[in-house]
Amino acid sequence: MSVTKAPAAPREPRPDEPPVRQGRPYESARRYARWLPVAPGTVLLLLFLIGPIGYCVYLAFTDLQLTGQANASFVGLDNFTRAFGDEDFVNAVVLTLVFTLVSSIIGQNTLGLTLAALMQRASKTVRTVTGAIVICAWVVPEIVAGFLLYTFFHRRGTLNEVLDFLHLPDQNWLFTLPILAVSFANIWRGTAFSMLVYSAALSEIPDEVTESAQIDGANAWQRLIHVTLPMIRRSIGTNLMLNTLQTLSVFGLIWAMTRGGPGNRSETLPVFMYDQAFNKALIGYGTAVALLLLVVGGLFSVVYLRLMREEV
Amino acid sequence: MRPTAPLALALSAVLTAGVLTGCSLGPDDDPNTVEIAFPKDIDNNVTVRDDYLAYVAKQFEKANPGKKVKLVPIQAPQNDYYTKIQIMMRSPNTAPDLVYEDTFLLQSDIESGYLQPLDKYLDKWDDWSKFEDTAKQAGESEDGKTYGVPDGTDTRGLWFNKKIFMKAGLPTDWAPKTWDDVLEAARAVKKNVPDVTPFNIFTGKAAGEAAAMQGFEMLLYGTQDQLYDEKSKKWVVGSEGFRDSLEFVDTVFKEKLGPHVSDALSPDIQTQVMTDHLPKEKLAIALDGSWINQQWIKTGGAPWPEWSETMGVAPMPTQNGQEPGKTSMSGGWAWSIPKKSGNHDLAWKMIETLQQPENAREWCIRGSQIAVREDVARDRKYLNAIPRTKFFTDLVDVTHYRPALPLYPRVSEAITVAMEKVTTGDATPAQGARSYDKQVRSITDGAVIKR
Amino acid sequence: MTDAPAPAPTPARTSPRARLLAPRTAVTGTPRTPRLTRQRRQRLAADAGLLVMAAAFVVPLLWLVFASLDAKAKLRVSPPSSPTLDNFSAVWTDEITFTPMLNSFLICGSGTLMTMVCAALAAYPLSRYRSRYARPYLLGVLFTTCLPITAVMVPVYSLFVQINLIDTMYGTAFFLATSQLPFAIWLMKNFMDGVPVVLEEAAWTDGANWFQALVRVIVPLMGPGITVVTIYSFIMMWGNFFVPFMLLLDPEKLPASVSIYTFFGNYGVVAYGELAAFSILYSTPVLLLYILISRRLGGGFTLGGGVKG
Repeated sequence: MSVTKAPAAPREPRPDEPPVRQGRPYESARRYARWLPVAPGTVLLLLFLIGPIGYCVYLAFTDLQLTGQANASFVGLDNFTRAFGDEDFVNAVVLTLVFTLVSSIIGQNTLGLTLAALMQRASKTVRTVTGAIVICAWVVPEIVAGFLLYTFFHRRGTLNEVLDFLHLPDQNWLFTLPILAVSFANIWRGTAFSMLVYSAALSEIPDEVTESAQIDGANAWQRLIHVTLPMIRRSIGTNLMLNTLQTLSVFGLIWAMTRGGPGNRSETLPVFMYDQAFNKALIGYGTAVALLLLVVGGLFSVVYLRLMREEV
Repeated sequence: MRPTAPLALALSAVLTAGVLTGCSLGPDDDPNTVEIAFPKDIDNNVTVRDDYLAYVAKQFEKANPGKKVKLVPIQAPQNDYYTKIQIMMRSPNTAPDLVYEDTFLLQSDIESGYLQPLDKYLDKWDDWSKFEDTAKQAGESEDGKTYGVPDGTDTRGLWFNKKIFMKAGLPTDWAPKTWDDVLEAARAVKKNVPDVTPFNIFTGKAAGEAAAMQGFEMLLYGTQDQLYDEKSKKWVVGSEGFRDSLEFVDTVFKEKLGPHVSDALSPDIQTQVMTDHLPKEKLAIALDGSWINQQWIKTGGAPWPEWSETMGVAPMPTQNGQEPGKTSMSGGWAWSIPKKSGNHDLAWKMIETLQQPENAREWCIRGSQIAVREDVARDRKYLNAIPRTKFFTDLVDVTHYRPALPLYPRVSEAITVAMEKVTTGDATPAQGARSYDKQVRSITDGAVIKR
Repeated sequence: MTDAPAPAPTPARTSPRARLLAPRTAVTGTPRTPRLTRQRRQRLAADAGLLVMAAAFVVPLLWLVFASLDAKAKLRVSPPSSPTLDNFSAVWTDEITFTPMLNSFLICGSGTLMTMVCAALAAYPLSRYRSRYARPYLLGVLFTTCLPITAVMVPVYSLFVQINLIDTMYGTAFFLATSQLPFAIWLMKNFMDGVPVVLEEAAWTDGANWFQALVRVIVPLMGPGITVVTIYSFIMMWGNFFVPFMLLLDPEKLPASVSIYTFFGNYGVVAYGELAAFSILYSTPVLLLYILISRRLGGGFTLGGGVKG
């Protein structure tokens, strides 16, 4: 068993940037040439991500329709004024916020950290079993997860059986509070990622640090607050960001569980966008909503970038 | 040190080339193959249309040596099917050679330029004169050209289970005169036969056009109001009939006369009613289409030999029994040729094969359709094939057609949204009607008439 | 199930391994026993907590396993009365299982390979050289990781129609690879920063060029990191529904993620057992891949730094 271990010496929280190699004369051509490995990835990104985003900006200002229209035309800001006057759009924004807050920021993040912290102390068997189960939930493809959690929350499903057993009242969240059901589904599905990130981060904390804290008589809480959390600050930031933004664009899970319904009680922005573009055939309007979603993602992103400025 | 720049360059070049040369491995545009896109039911046991097309395809390949038929079944809830074929028809790469269109979408897709006019073929096709005029109009657009060849039509009415009616103390020759009679019967079933669903009416976004047409328009066209005002050429908003129709839907779900709301709103409700709720005798009254017995005959997905003794039919009454006392809606499907397919002539040949009198009759029998060809309509074999054919054919006298306009699909969508709001209890009928009015104003850019 | 962290009556077995894991008391000189019991108490509490969470997580998965073996599967979890493999044989056909799975492999395999190669190449200079463009570039990459890919699907569809990539499997693979790329580059760069340059310098003195250093020194040292990225990318692609749903139209090209959705309709068709069976078949490859890779890395699913002893 080759166990790769992080270097045991307590490292600086962030490694110094590696120096440019000494003792080599280099010409500017060589300096540029060594950046070539970045090219393939960049080409892909330009073609398949930046291109569509540019196209998205263009389409958002047209009234393109999937059907029932001979030619699309420019309509300026019409799509956007329409969105802000559209109660369904406002509803989608609110639901998206709820979904993101409950399932990503609170659910996945806290649960992932808890799991990782407990795993550090647990016995190998339990750790392996729990890890396997949580990772299973993550590995299961999105649509399958949707089906599984649908059967779990269904009014004739397992959750009600458990509630009956505990003599608690039944629920029918898929119908009454679908946004809660899909949020829990997203927690179930996504926690493993946080768990992996935090496990990796915690295992990089040298044993000596925690041990010396222990010897100084710090209890578990104090150790967590004063030693552990500050040392994994980076991971928390990265994880929080990635989770939130993953969650912002969840589509398949909600689509499989509720299709955004009933009514529009679980219609988050991605579902709303799809519904407008394809079911209501308003590709232009749907794209405008998509652009807003992109902008929201972008804003989030900028906030996080500021938080993590020192890292890059 | 070997310079490694060439490697990186080569790699990015390969990647870029791969992207840019995009030699399409898309659908092979083989001039000898006709690709047919059609909706496949989400219940895999239901293969009525698949089987029929396979049956005709065999004939076609035999009659045209060297030509092939490729079936492209698109398995999706109906609304997703409409979206999918529109997406396919946008690109020459993916456009099928022949597409099965619900007639309500024809005008909208013609407007988008997705379809090829068929006049040059129809002019040389003797059989076209045998089609009824209403059927011909379904595929005709404002420019006077024809874009679709219909293969059947339908009407709608009330199906009811006589055995359950007996238990509920209701007459087995039930003939409701008003909406209230329908609700009263459902209430009687609820009271006396508690373990069955009393009444089903399609509602909500997932059921899509089934909710708008089998559900809502069957009500609305039995009031004094309609969706579109032919005189002023404007869409109607704020009508009393619209509110009353939503009120009816509201009553059904508020009083729990219908299926459980979450079942009513699930995308497979149409299939479930046909292949499960009715044949398993879990549902007393269904407001549904003339074709649903296609599932109970031997080629169907849920063969049920006793259906003709068990199931009774009644026309949908008008709201308060006003003249003509009953109402119905008619639609149907048509074969069209996408403009961007490269195989128009062969596709037309396939339409001709599908519309040979024997094949047309075969479809009307298997699909439980009302014939649109006069020769088939007179055919003994067709008339005797399925009980109830006469009942539904007679409803053609009182039937209504959906506004054949490009905007109709979007108006229909707005109807289903309003229905869903009322069904879930998120809105009162009045609020639902107001939200519909707002939607329609936006869809039509304000070209509406207030009642 | 209670989660009382009270010490269980059964004494924890002190396996040889546990003894090995006992703290290095020599360092501190404190007597051994109290430390041990405290450790053991902590361990039991942690075990109990984990088991409670595991129980909560396992229920839906149990439904999957039970329903797949149950000829009369229902919505509720219940062990099958007479386990049968009928559901599996029912879906064990070309149309339902093999074609979609093969499509998934082709699309996701090539997509992941592209992602990994591009990300590893791009991360190297970003991690190792200074340049005034590196930071903006990385910020840009980091920025794009945040963009909801879902949102660009409508324009991507239109774009694919324009450049003739619609309904092609490699077009879909390209797009999937790109969608995972920013994240992969970012993570790879972070992991690479964790590999001390000292080790690389040793390779340079032996006359290796950057590529050899990357492949022979850095990549092996980044094992856990690369695993995270690879697995994550592959799983994300394997499970992605929306992208192939929008970009592939021909039923014969659909990967399993979409075919499962269409074949079983919207869970409406009451073939729960077959649905569960197919779900298991569809999920197995990623599970196996996961197990394989984590084995090769020396066990343990805590990816960073392997198993803490």
